Amino acid sequence: MIVLVGLNHKTAPLDVRERLFAGCQEMTHLPGELLKIDGVSEALYLSTCNRVEIVAKVEEGSPALSSLKDYLVRLGALSGDDAEKCLYAREGEEAIRHLFRVAASLDSLVMGEAQILGQVKDAYRQSLAENATGVALNRLMHRAFRTAKRVRTETGIAANPVSVSFAAVELAGKIFGTLAGKKLLVIGAGEMAQLACTHLAGNGVEQITVANRSAPQAAALAEQFHGRAVGLDALDEALDDADIVISSTGSPSYVITQQMVARCLRRRKNRLLFLIDIAVPRDIDPACGGIENVFLYNIDDLQGIVDENIKNRKREAIKAEAIVTQEVVNYADWLRQLEAVPTIVSLRRKAEGIVGREMEKAGNWLGALDGGDREKVEALVNGIVNKILHGPVTAMKEESVETRSQDIVAAARQLFKLDD
Amino acid sequence: MSGTETVFLVQALTCTALAVAGYLLSIFAKRVLVAKISTWILTAAFGFLTVNLVVAAVNWAGWDQFGSRHFLAFYAWATAGIYLGFQLKTKTRVLGVFVAPLILLLLIAAAGLAPNRSLVPPEWKGGLTTLHLVLSIAGEALFVLASAAGAMFLMQNRLIKSKKRAKMSKLLPSLGDLDKINFIGLMWGFVLLTAGVVTGTVYAVFVWEGAWLSDPRVVWSFAVWVAYGFLLHQRLAIGWGGVRMAALSVLIFMLFAVSAVAVRFCLPSMHSFI
Repeated sequence: MIVLVGLNHKTAPLDVRERLFAGCQEMTHLPGELLKIDGVSEALYLSTCNRVEIVAKVEEGSPALSSLKDYLVRLGALSGDDAEKCLYAREGEEAIRHLFRVAASLDSLVMGEAQILGQVKDAYRQSLAENATGVALNRLMHRAFRTAKRVRTETGIAANPVSVSFAAVELAGKIFGTLAGKKLLVIGAGEMAQLACTHLAGNGVEQITVANRSAPQAAALAEQFHGRAVGLDALDEALDDADIVISSTGSPSYVITQQMVARCLRRRKNRLLFLIDIAVPRDIDPACGGIENVFLYNIDDLQGIVDENIKNRKREAIKAEAIVTQEVVNYADWLRQLEAVPTIVSLRRKAEGIVGREMEKAGNWLGALDGGDREKVEALVNGIVNKILHGPVTAMKEESVETRSQDIVAAARQLFKLDD
Repeated sequence: MSGTETVFLVQALTCTALAVAGYLLSIFAKRVLVAKISTWILTAAFGFLTVNLVVAAVNWAGWDQFGSRHFLAFYAWATAGIYLGFQLKTKTRVLGVFVAPLILLLLIAAAGLAPNRSLVPPEWKGGLTTLHLVLSIAGEALFVLASAAGAMFLMQNRLIKSKKRAKMSKLLPSLGDLDKINFIGLMWGFVLLTAGVVTGTVYAVFVWEGAWLSDPRVVWSFAVWVAYGFLLHQRLAIGWGGVRMAALSVLIFMLFAVSAVAVRFCLPSMHSFI
């Protein structure tokens, strides 16, 4: 049976997550350690800033699930109260569903983000390296990756940006095509400006100019991005060159007026200009948005895009849940079939043993036959045995998919005396 | 025309028809993936057309009947080539919605013509006429491309300015790419049309003598040339760009498209074989 134990950003506060995360980091061979727990045959642990989870294959009816929980409590030095509130444990299909939802980023803080799949893959790689996975977990993880891929390609869950700076980068892409070679003018040198610089520089913006009332602050930010710093009095000139302008000053009046933009357009030969105003109160005169070839977005416009994208993601999540359900059913069917496999193997071995012994007993008269006839007799016997076994084997496989397989497996073991 | 040629022409035609259907579907379903697949199908059509033209070139006798199938096939090939060339640089697949139907029409016309029929009256056939036709029509095709990019620019501009999220905005190419295509279309269209007008003039001066100057088609072509020349001048010298350039290209194209039809069907012209 597959089980999952852990905590995440929804169930545990940051300090509890930190403690458990630190505990996991200290253990260099955690998957191997997990295998030492009684009843655990395969194990994997996933540890990110938002979650710590253990996925394991355990023997049915064993106390492994509560042992795994205790293990996490010890690892994170959690109090009884914390453990009660924060830890969750899932078994069987619920555990599988939880893992698939995590891999598909349906359980993430920012639904649809791509990072989690990489983290799940890393966790699997670590368990593989320590030989802590087997048939069940290997297939489970591959199914989880497949589910995540299907969710990304078949739904629009990751299609649109859900942060203001990503939304700005996407808009810039829609206006300019590529950001490579484009020039960015940042007005203000605060935290918001820095964040915007990081984002746009990462997307290929070539030259960054920082304009700020305080020259040392402007110089510091400009140096960080290998750009140049100018004073606010040089804004007119800086506007001539820029393709993208981000403004986030604390100025009570407009820093960029309609006249300034209209004047610079002539000098810049009508090149497209994207103005992003993330300041409150606004830095850029809203009338600038009405000028030909100028595109003005303020913080509310960008937030509006983000809000709508979040709504879209929630709508897409319904489709994604259907894909997860489908994949959970497929995997659970396979796992149930797997439960019948040892019995099917024992049944075949027993039959082969009987055939072998009976053929040996009949060695005297079989020896009198020539080679060709002897092979025919062996083929006949094997054929009869296979035909007899075909019914029970198929029934066990089919029945184990439909329901839990213990009953029919137990019946087969008793009927064929496989445990003797 | 040999059997092999026909086979490749039909394959090119089929692929182009599929690509047109795909591009239209991509607009209705608002899925870029469908447009991407259509571009690959159009690339296959371009491949078949290339083979068709190579086979025709090897079988040189076919080219004596210039102005028939080969001319139209060549024209379709050049248009597809220019469009696919743009895809390597700009990823503006949705532009195929405008370009692919044009290629399809050319191929249908090419396939529908009797193999031996020449479009140009036999007494006017010659190298200069061929050059004049190829250059003029290629120039006009590039103006079509420039205007199509202009139309898409206006749509995308409106969507971005309205600040509403629209799937269509995602499907349309970026404003920068569309402006670039508009410029390249105008510039090369103007160069080719100028060369076409010059070759036509040289031919007409020697063969048609004075009668051609008042030919409606000539007057119309000259007007197209002047109008696009004006646009190009404004762009290069004054720095017009973006919305104004897109709107004017569309407007001029629409005016000339309407007058071209009127000239072709209402007025007698020495060019009425086209």
